[in-house]
Amino acid sequence: MEKSRIFLYDDIGNSYDRKNKYLLELFTLEEQYKRADAKGKKVIKHQISKLKQNKKKHPYIIALEQFIKDEKNFLLTLNSKKKTYMQNLDSNMPGRLKKIKLNLFDAQEKVDFYKKYVDLSYDAELAYRQNQIIVSQLPDIITLYETTVSELNLAKVEKSKLVRNQVQEQVTTYKTRKREEHKHYIEAKQALQEKKKTGLISEKALRNGIVELKAKRKEINTLNAFEIDSKANKELIRNKKYILSKGIKLQLNVLKSNLADIRRKVPYETEKALPLVSFLTIPFPGLGQVFNKQYFKALLFALATVFIYAIAIPYALGFGNYQGDGISGLISLAQEGRKIDKSLIFMIEGVVAIFLVLISIALYLISFVDVFSTERAKIKGIRPKNWYETASKLEHESFPYLVSAPAFLVTIFIVLVPITTTVLLSFTGMDPKNQSKFGWESISNYKLIALGEGLAGSVFWSILAWTLVWTLVATSMAILTGFILAILANNDRIKGKTFFRVVYILPWAVPAFITIMFFSIMFSPNGALTTILEGVTGLRVQVKNDPLLTRVALIFLQTWLGSSYVFLLSTGVLQAIPGDLYEAAQIDGATAWQKMSRITLPIVLFQTAPLLVGQYTFNFNNFSIIYLFNGGGPFNPSKYGNLAGSSDLLISYIYKLTMENQYQAIGAAITIVISMGLMFFAFLGFKNSKAFKEERL
Amino acid sequence: MKNPFKKKNKLYLSDKQPLTPLGVVGLGLTYLVLAIWVIAILWPLAQMIISAFNGKQEQYIMLNDNFEFSMEHFKYLFSETLYLTWVKNTLFISITTAIFTLIMVSFTGFAYSRYRFKGRKASLMAIMLIQTIPTFAGITAYFTMHSIISSIAPWFTRQLMLILIYSGGGIAGNTFILKGYIDSISSELDDAARIDGCSSMQVYRLIIMPIARPMLAIIALWSFIGPFMDYLLPRVLLTNPKSYTLAAGLFTLISDFRTLNQPAFAAGGLLTAVPIVTLFIVLQKQLVSGLASGSVKG
Repeated sequence: MEKSRIFLYDDIGNSYDRKNKYLLELFTLEEQYKRADAKGKKVIKHQISKLKQNKKKHPYIIALEQFIKDEKNFLLTLNSKKKTYMQNLDSNMPGRLKKIKLNLFDAQEKVDFYKKYVDLSYDAELAYRQNQIIVSQLPDIITLYETTVSELNLAKVEKSKLVRNQVQEQVTTYKTRKREEHKHYIEAKQALQEKKKTGLISEKALRNGIVELKAKRKEINTLNAFEIDSKANKELIRNKKYILSKGIKLQLNVLKSNLADIRRKVPYETEKALPLVSFLTIPFPGLGQVFNKQYFKALLFALATVFIYAIAIPYALGFGNYQGDGISGLISLAQEGRKIDKSLIFMIEGVVAIFLVLISIALYLISFVDVFSTERAKIKGIRPKNWYETASKLEHESFPYLVSAPAFLVTIFIVLVPITTTVLLSFTGMDPKNQSKFGWESISNYKLIALGEGLAGSVFWSILAWTLVWTLVATSMAILTGFILAILANNDRIKGKTFFRVVYILPWAVPAFITIMFFSIMFSPNGALTTILEGVTGLRVQVKNDPLLTRVALIFLQTWLGSSYVFLLSTGVLQAIPGDLYEAAQIDGATAWQKMSRITLPIVLFQTAPLLVGQYTFNFNNFSIIYLFNGGGPFNPSKYGNLAGSSDLLISYIYKLTMENQYQAIGAAITIVISMGLMFFAFLGFKNSKAFKEERL
Repeated sequence: MKNPFKKKNKLYLSDKQPLTPLGVVGLGLTYLVLAIWVIAILWPLAQMIISAFNGKQEQYIMLNDNFEFSMEHFKYLFSETLYLTWVKNTLFISITTAIFTLIMVSFTGFAYSRYRFKGRKASLMAIMLIQTIPTFAGITAYFTMHSIISSIAPWFTRQLMLILIYSGGGIAGNTFILKGYIDSISSELDDAARIDGCSSMQVYRLIIMPIARPMLAIIALWSFIGPFMDYLLPRVLLTNPKSYTLAAGLFTLISDFRTLNQPAFAAGGLLTAVPIVTLFIVLQKQLVSGLASGSVKG
C-alpha cells in the first residue's frame, strides 16, 4: 500500500509530521483530491494550482527562504570566526588536536544558530542534533588527547632522567629472580614427572602440567620485568602512542556512527513525486549520485563512466583495436579488409567488444539502481546515506562482489571469450583454404557432421562410436578392477596390506604421460612387450599397426592406469565402513555374498558415484593416452580418411582437425556438439545431487 | 609335576573363525590375484628404471639380458637435451598457477560460502556448467588471443598465457570445492569475530583462511600438479623447445627423429616421477579427500 505523503517515514517505518507547511498543505489537498467526487475534484484541483502559483508568497516558504539566507550569512561569519580561532590556538599544538578543537568550536557555534530553526525544517533539526552530539562528545576526546600527550611527554622526560646504575641494579635483580623462577619450574616439573613415574597421573596430564608451568613462569617473568624502570617506561611510551593513534581514531568512529544514527532518525523533505533524476542520469553513472549529494560514491561511479566512454564504447566501435573493427568486425569478418587482416582476429575482437559492452550495461544498471533507490527513498523521507554509512554498508554487502571481481574478469576473458569464439567459429567456413579470410556459413558445418558428409564430417560417426565404446569399456574395466582389488586387499586375513596399497597406487602417482609414453615404447616394433608377445604366441604381433590390437592395448593400458585411482577411493570408503554392520549380518546368518551385495557394494557405490561419473567424462576426453600412445593411429585411409587414425577419440580428432590440418570451423562444431552433450549429462547429475535438491547452493 | 598355567601350544587365540579348507584355497587365490597385479604394475616400472640405468641400451629400448650399470643416459639428458630448462619452465608455470588460483579461489570460495548476494545462485549454476566444458574448447582462440595481447604487452609470453588458462580454468571447480569446505566451518566463529569488531576482510584473513588451510593446501597442490601432467595445452601453445614443459619436452625424445633417445626418456621420466610419486604417496589421503569433498558436495 502506498503510504500517504502527508507524513514522512524513515528506514524502519516510523512516521514523522511534516515541518514544511507548504508541502503539508499541498499533499493534504492531493490526498483529498483522491477521495473527492467529480465535483469536489474540480474545486480541489483549482485550489492546488492556486497554491502552487502562490508558492513564493506562502508564509512558510518565506520563512524557509529567510532561514536559508540567514544560514548563508552565518556560515560566512563562522568561517572568518574559525580563522581567528585557529590563529589564537597555541601554535605548538599538534595538527590533529587543532582540527578536533576547531571542530568543537564550529559545532558550538552551529548549535546556537540552528537551535532557533529546529521547528522550521528538518535540515536545521539534523544540523542541530548532530552538532549537539559533537559538542557533548568531543570534549572528552580532547581531554583524552591532551592528557595522553602530557603523560607521554612526562614519560619522555622520565626516560632522560633514568639513572643508569639503578637500572643496572634492577636488571640484576630481575635476572636473579628469573633464575629462581626457573629453579621453581624445574622442581615442579620434576615433581610432576615423579608423579607420572609412580603412575599417579597420565602422560597427557604430565604434558598439560608442563605447559601450564611454562605459562606461569612466563607470566611471572613478564610481571617482574616491569620492575625495571627503563622497561616500564618504554612500555608506557608505547601505550600512550598507541592511544594517540588508534584510540583517538576509535573514539572518533564512535562519534561518526552516532552522527549517522541521527541521520537515520531525522527525515528529509522534498516536493518531488517521481524519481526523475535517476532516469535522466542513466547515461552517466556518477552524475545521479552528485544530485543525491553522495560525492564520494559519485567519484567511484565516475570511474565506471570513464571505463564506458574511454574504453568500452570506443573499442566496440572499432577504435583502439589490434586489427579488428569492434562489433561490426563480427559481421564483416574482414572480408573486404586489407590483405593482412585476419577474420579470426576480427571475430575475437568482436567477442571481446561484446563482453566489454555487457560489462558496461551492468555498470549502467548498478548505477541506475543505486540512484533510483536513493531517490525514491528521499521522496519517502529517508535521507541519502553519507560516505561513512555507505562505506560500512559497502564493507559488508559489496564484499562478495569486490573480492570475486578478479576471478570474474579472468573467467570472462580466459574462459567465456574463447568459448564464445568457438561457438561463433562453428558457424563459419574456416578451413585450410580459407585461413586468413573466411565468412559466415550458418549451420553447414553441423549439417556435415550430422549427415556424415565431407572430408571431415564423414568419419564423425565412426569416431563417435569408438569414443563411446572406449569410454564405457575402458572406464568400467578400470572401475571393476580397482574395486575388486580394493575388496581383496581389504580382507582381514591378508598380510602386508601396506605393501599392496603402496604398489597399487603407483600407476596413479606416476605422471600418466610418462607411463603412457613408456608403454608406447614397449609396444613399438622392437619393444619389450612386443618381444614378449612374440615369445608367448610365436607370432610377430605388431600391436601399433593393427587397429583392433591398438584399441585393446589402449583399453588395457587405461585399466592399468585408472584402476589405481578407483582402488584408492574404494579403499578409503571400505575402511570407513563400521565393523559392527558385518558382525550384525554375521549373527543374522548372512553369507559372504550377501554381505558383499547388501552392505559393501551399496555403501561404496553411493559414496564414490560422483567421482566415478567423473571418470567417464575424463576418459571421454582422454587426449593424452590416445595421442601419446600411438598418435591416434594406425592410419587406415580407406576407412578413416586422411585426417584421423583408427584409435582417435573425438577430442584427438578435434585436435588434429584444428591444430594439424586447420579445419578449425568443423573442429569447433564438433567441440560444441560434445560440450553440449557433456553439459547435459553434468546438468542431469547436478539436478539429482543432494546439494542441489536441498537448495544449499 | 605338570604346570597347570603352562600355555597350550596350539591354542586358537584369534577372534576370527578358523579357516575352512575352502577358505584356505580362497585366501591363496586372493594372494595370487594380488601378486599378479603387483607384478603387472611393477614390471613396466622396473623396466623403465632398468633401461634408464642400462648402459647397453642404445637409441631404442629393447628387451635384453645385457645390463651394465651406467649413468650415461642421465648425462645425455643433462648435457644434450634441455631437460633442466623444461624442469625450470614447469616449476615456474606450476608454482605461478598455484599461487594465482589460490588467491582468486580463496576469495570466491569465502564469498560464495558466507554471503547471500544477488546473482549468487545463478552464477553458481553457471560455474557448475562452465566447469564441465573442457579447456580445449577454446583452443583456436587462445593462440590468436595471445598474439593480440602480446602486441600490446610484449612481455606477455606464451607461458604466461598458459598460466592464465590453467588458473582461469581452475577457478570454477576449485571455488566449488572450497565453498563446500568453508560451508562446514561453523559460521558462529564469524559472528563472534564480527561482534568483536572484525571487518569482512579480517574475518577472511584471521578466521576463515587459517581454518581452511588444509583444503587450500590441497587446492594449491592440485593446481601445482596439473601443469606437470598436462600435455595438450603446452603442445598447442608453446612452439619453442626452450619454453616447453616437461611433458612436451620429454615427448620430443620419443617422437622426433632428430632427438630420439628412448633410454634418455626413461631417465628423464624417472627423475620427474620420483618427486611426484613421493608427494602422492605421502599426501594420498589429503589429495583424495580434496577430490571427494569437491564432488560429493557438488
